[in-house]
Amino acid sequence: MAEPMERHWLQMPCRHILLACMLFSMPTLPACSRESRSLGPGQPQTPPSGFADPRITYFEDNLYQTAQGGRYFSWYGCAACHGTEARGERDLIAVQLRHSPSFVDVYASIAHHRGVSFGHDGMIPTEQLWQLAAYVRSLRALKREQRRRQDLDQAGEPQAMSWSGTVR
Amino acid sequence: MTQKGHLAFLLPLASCAGAQTPLAPAGDQAAGQYSLLLLMLWVCGILYMLVLGFLAMGLWRLRRGAPAGNEPTLETPSDAVLGKTLWIWAAIIVVGLLLLAGASFLLERRLAAAEAREALLVRVSGHQWWWRIAYRDPRNGSWIETANELHLPVGTTARIELGSADVIHSFWVPNVAGKMDVIPGRANAIDVTPRRIGWFRGQCAEFCGLQHAKMAFDVKVETPAQFAGWLALQARPAPAPEDAAALRGMEIVTRGACAMCHSVRGTSARGRPGPDLTHVASRRMIAAGTLAMNRGNLQGWIAQPQALKPGTLMLPVTLEPRDANAVAQYLGQLK
Repeated sequence: MAEPMERHWLQMPCRHILLACMLFSMPTLPACSRESRSLGPGQPQTPPSGFADPRITYFEDNLYQTAQGGRYFSWYGCAACHGTEARGERDLIAVQLRHSPSFVDVYASIAHHRGVSFGHDGMIPTEQLWQLAAYVRSLRALKREQRRRQDLDQAGEPQAMSWSGTVR
Repeated sequence: MTQKGHLAFLLPLASCAGAQTPLAPAGDQAAGQYSLLLLMLWVCGILYMLVLGFLAMGLWRLRRGAPAGNEPTLETPSDAVLGKTLWIWAAIIVVGLLLLAGASFLLERRLAAAEAREALLVRVSGHQWWWRIAYRDPRNGSWIETANELHLPVGTTARIELGSADVIHSFWVPNVAGKMDVIPGRANAIDVTPRRIGWFRGQCAEFCGLQHAKMAFDVKVETPAQFAGWLALQARPAPAPEDAAALRGMEIVTRGACAMCHSVRGTSARGRPGPDLTHVASRRMIAAGTLAMNRGNLQGWIAQPQALKPGTLMLPVTLEPRDANAVAQYLGQLK
């Protein structure tokens, strides 16, 4: 007796579920490019040249770069003053919503930061300034819960001159 | 097969010797696991050979030709002995499995029993992509920090407490200890009793991001006297710069970008995110086993870490050639 022909997958009983899964997962594919990272020595060595600097769009749209900025944000102890609990002028979200500074402004304010603790002139390498500026800009669109989630993720990371050890 | 093909086949054997292999144990824990590995090899090997032997026997008997129309079926085995031998076969499998389970249980008990002999406490924290290592000073209970180089006194059981600052890593020094995952939010620990003096290599064994492969560390097993000397040196603050260039280097390191992330004890550089540099030149490698420690590599690493270890969280600091030279000169003196 001849073997029955193998059925095409589109004729299988669960084809509706398969198709639905594929359709629903499609919109997530473009998100992969938002994580793309450029590595190696060819990173920015100069501050933004102006509002139209193409690097601004790249850094702001790239989740990897903004996430790295968030990491350095806690490494450099920025969260000590500008953390989730910050109020008034230190609340970076409120300040940005009030004055809507451009990327160039944010970059300059970090590069020439004059805080209570220390200034930053020449202390932070250029690439990190780009990442930090992109991260600070991204805070505007972040809900408080999301920010708290970020804080939790980085709870074990060192903060400037203090590190209480890994989370155990 | 071509000669190249032969060579490719031999390549895995390279891992059988050297500073990073479970097949040349240099510690109690590694030796225990090695003997378990040998037992598994024997048990599984003997059973495998038996299976192949019976298969060959069956094929040989078939080739000799059974008369047509008398083909054996599952219901009525042609061989009357087969029914009995199957029982024996099942018993052999059960005995083999019991042997392995029993040996594994006994080994676990032995590994756990090392806890009673712990004489040294070391904290190893995984970071992307390097190891922070801190020793508890037996004299005063303070913590002495270093990075990427683990020193252990021979014949002494050390308890290594593992923690992660970011993602899951895995602590693996095959020659001396086994493998233990380093998980954020979880307190894991492993006991290590090295028995052979020498340099060994540890490696992160859980994929942890871009530079996972370059997250290694050196392990030096030395005599208790050598270890005590080394620990005393690590506890000291950084030595003073020896010449004008190194003095300039110290100024740049302590006042510039380096101090944002690195500590040099005894100076104003007190950043915690990166490896402690107090005695960086006393280590054998830099950048977590990426480069040998020498003046050229040190200066190259400072100038362009992204070219040597793409994605590393250390970023290039723009320095005038004279200043870069001064920084390398200073760091090279931090013995």
